[in-house]
Amino acid sequence: MTNFLVQWGINPWGEDTPIHAQWALVYIAFAFGVGFMLAHTLFVKFWPKPEEANAPVNEVAAARVPARVGRHSLAARTFHWIMAASMLTLLGTASAPVLGFRFNWVEIHWIAGLVLTLSIVYHIIHASFWLDFWSIWLNREDAREAITRFKRAVGQRAPAPRKAAKYPWDNKMYHTAIVLSALATVPTGLLMMNRVQTPFFTRNPYLFGDTTWGVMYVLHGLSGIALVGLTIAHIYFAIRPEKQWITKGMIFGDISREEFLRHHDPERWIVDSHEVSNG
Amino acid sequence: MAIVHDVMPVFELFQPTTVDDTLALLDTYGADAWVLAGGLDTFDWFKDRNKRRKVVVDLSGVQTLRGVKKTADGGLEIGASTTLTDVASEPLVKQNYRLLSQAAALVASPQIRNQGTLGGNVSQDTRCWYYRSGWTCYRAGGNICYADTPTAINREHAIFDANRCVAVNPSDTAPALVALDAQMVIRSSDGERVVNAQDYFIGPSTDITRMTVLQAGDLLTAIRIPATWANAEFYFEKIRERQVWDFPLVNIAAALKVEGGTIRSSRFVVNAVAAHPVRLGAVEDAVAGKPRNEETAAMAGALAVQGARPLTHNGYKIPLVRNLVKRAIRGEAQA
Amino acid sequence: MSTQEQTPQPSSSVTRRAFIKMVIASSAAVSASAYLFRGSTLVGQGSLPGAVERLMSLNVNGQLRRVDVMKQETLATTLRYKLGLTGTKLGCDRSECGACTVLIDDIPHYSCSVLTHTVRGRKIQTIEGLEQPDGTLHPVQQAILDEQGFQCAFCMSGFVMSAVGFLKTNPNPTREELAHGISGNLCRCADYDKILRAMMRGAAYMQKTTT
Repeated sequence: MTNFLVQWGINPWGEDTPIHAQWALVYIAFAFGVGFMLAHTLFVKFWPKPEEANAPVNEVAAARVPARVGRHSLAARTFHWIMAASMLTLLGTASAPVLGFRFNWVEIHWIAGLVLTLSIVYHIIHASFWLDFWSIWLNREDAREAITRFKRAVGQRAPAPRKAAKYPWDNKMYHTAIVLSALATVPTGLLMMNRVQTPFFTRNPYLFGDTTWGVMYVLHGLSGIALVGLTIAHIYFAIRPEKQWITKGMIFGDISREEFLRHHDPERWIVDSHEVSNG
Repeated sequence: MAIVHDVMPVFELFQPTTVDDTLALLDTYGADAWVLAGGLDTFDWFKDRNKRRKVVVDLSGVQTLRGVKKTADGGLEIGASTTLTDVASEPLVKQNYRLLSQAAALVASPQIRNQGTLGGNVSQDTRCWYYRSGWTCYRAGGNICYADTPTAINREHAIFDANRCVAVNPSDTAPALVALDAQMVIRSSDGERVVNAQDYFIGPSTDITRMTVLQAGDLLTAIRIPATWANAEFYFEKIRERQVWDFPLVNIAAALKVEGGTIRSSRFVVNAVAAHPVRLGAVEDAVAGKPRNEETAAMAGALAVQGARPLTHNGYKIPLVRNLVKRAIRGEAQA
Repeated sequence: MSTQEQTPQPSSSVTRRAFIKMVIASSAAVSASAYLFRGSTLVGQGSLPGAVERLMSLNVNGQLRRVDVMKQETLATTLRYKLGLTGTKLGCDRSECGACTVLIDDIPHYSCSVLTHTVRGRKIQTIEGLEQPDGTLHPVQQAILDEQGFQCAFCMSGFVMSAVGFLKTNPNPTREELAHGISGNLCRCADYDKILRAMMRGAAYMQKTTT
């Protein structure tokens, strides 16, 4: 099993050591991503889901929703796009050599990695103190709702679920997956900067032993490969016709009242009568 | 330190007689195949059991890969399997491209030159002892360089263009061919492609596991030398500790076109200082139009070593490069 | 106790017809399964261009010798262990010492680094092949006796073959040229001075025999 995920080598003492994730997995990640896109497109085309029946929204709250609702502030959007650019650079520089495009990728990779790290640090601070920190995390209500939706999907009787807060449970799941991948990739990546020449500090490639480094490289590689699939899925959904209203929200910052009421519950995602909303 | 084992591990041997048959075999076996020319690099790997292949394709029966002939534009085409002795003694080469004869004549020892080929010498793998001992370093697909540490014995490693791997290209004929603007003719089942000698070699920043652009299924068939540098003022020097067998500590191949004491154009290529032959483009630009004198030599020498980054034990290569460039400009008579 | 019902015993013997059918069926299955191994590099080699037969004829010291040679076998191994010609020595096995030097088509080669299969059809000469059929020593060999060259003489056969090969194309070298010509041989006893003197004498003897 480990041979499928891990490339093993021999250290100077003749012992087996992990070296890095298997490169074949990069191909598999891309294939998976493309396969998922195809499967989902066809599935939605030929087996479209009827519009989900939701519990009715509070009329009074609905009336308070302004014509345009702010979804992401300029700060939040800037973070997102910087993070996206650095993420694509990281994934591109990491996979291209594996796929056969040879060029000097290491420097670009760690520079993009630093940009990503800084943007994530910014985001954590910004989201914790300026935004609604708890809105992105899965909670008990999401779990209950998931069970309800499942029951209804298999034909059991269950009350219609309410419309989503700002982030429905699939957004929250995705963010959680990203957080876990980042928790694996970013610290290992930062430590791995000890292996290359940077202008910041004198490198020490022997900071850890062979096996420790090997495990780090494997973790970094596997979570990086997971990010390939996650990113493909994310971009795919962003350009899907039924989701483009959200994508526009990430570009321009706001959504229309009609879009808001179609997908969200004004009592769960509270907006003021004027335009500004929580980032 | 070589440990003498019993016979080499078993492999399947094919001895094709034509290039097409060779390519067919390389295609059939892909990454399982090893191309055998003179064998002097190959057998070190196999005998030490640090590299192994299921299949060895022996080129000794392919006659079309040998020989030196004139080309239409007045240059030369040398078959990749031509032995180094033949390259060194061939009148066609000695006449107009003496730089290459000198380089080939300085490789290793007489018996090795009698068997080793030009194509093999140019495509040979690096001699870094950590890599050659079979340790899983970057070049071997791992994630560390054992030579690039404060205590490692890296006295023969790189001072230029190191990028995680600090191994050097140990060839003597490679810098000569780069200096002569040679072109490498590579054939595969996809057809033939011609690569400039300078682009034939790749450094670790491009691909840390390979020394040349050759991939599985490729065959270097010939080396073409254009007439550009025919009978230019040549300078070749190889610095090594023993005067036989040893790979270069540093070597230089230079070609100058001099008119009335002024350098019109030049090529300066040093090797064994990086994972690929280093063409000193800045020096070539700087000496163009300058008189061929001591002042130019000193300036060129200082320029040549800019950006050199020594490791713990190879700082001596910096004055060597500087002095070799000076000597190349002074020329054979004065050096 | 109550009597057990006698159940009919199954026949423990196979009929001849069944046995023969079984053998045919299983051998058909086994030989058909060879289809699974058709891609193995060690099978079906005869159909590919450049395939190699292990049994070969080698032209050694003027004799045609039949020998079974492994594909990865070096000439030094074949000469020493299959043809009984142990005059050729293995010093380093890495083309770094010259003790294994032999002449292939009159050109010195390190036989430790030559695959025997590549010299099929070429003329191989070892130290044993220098003397005349009547026992007369080669001029270089005689010169060694006369000059008392070599100490332990483990390197000797390599040096002699190197020198003979070199002198064939450079019959009248200076000491420096000869030193360069046989520079691919090492002597651990460091007897180089005496060796060169002996080889120069051998060159002189060779000149005498040809003039």
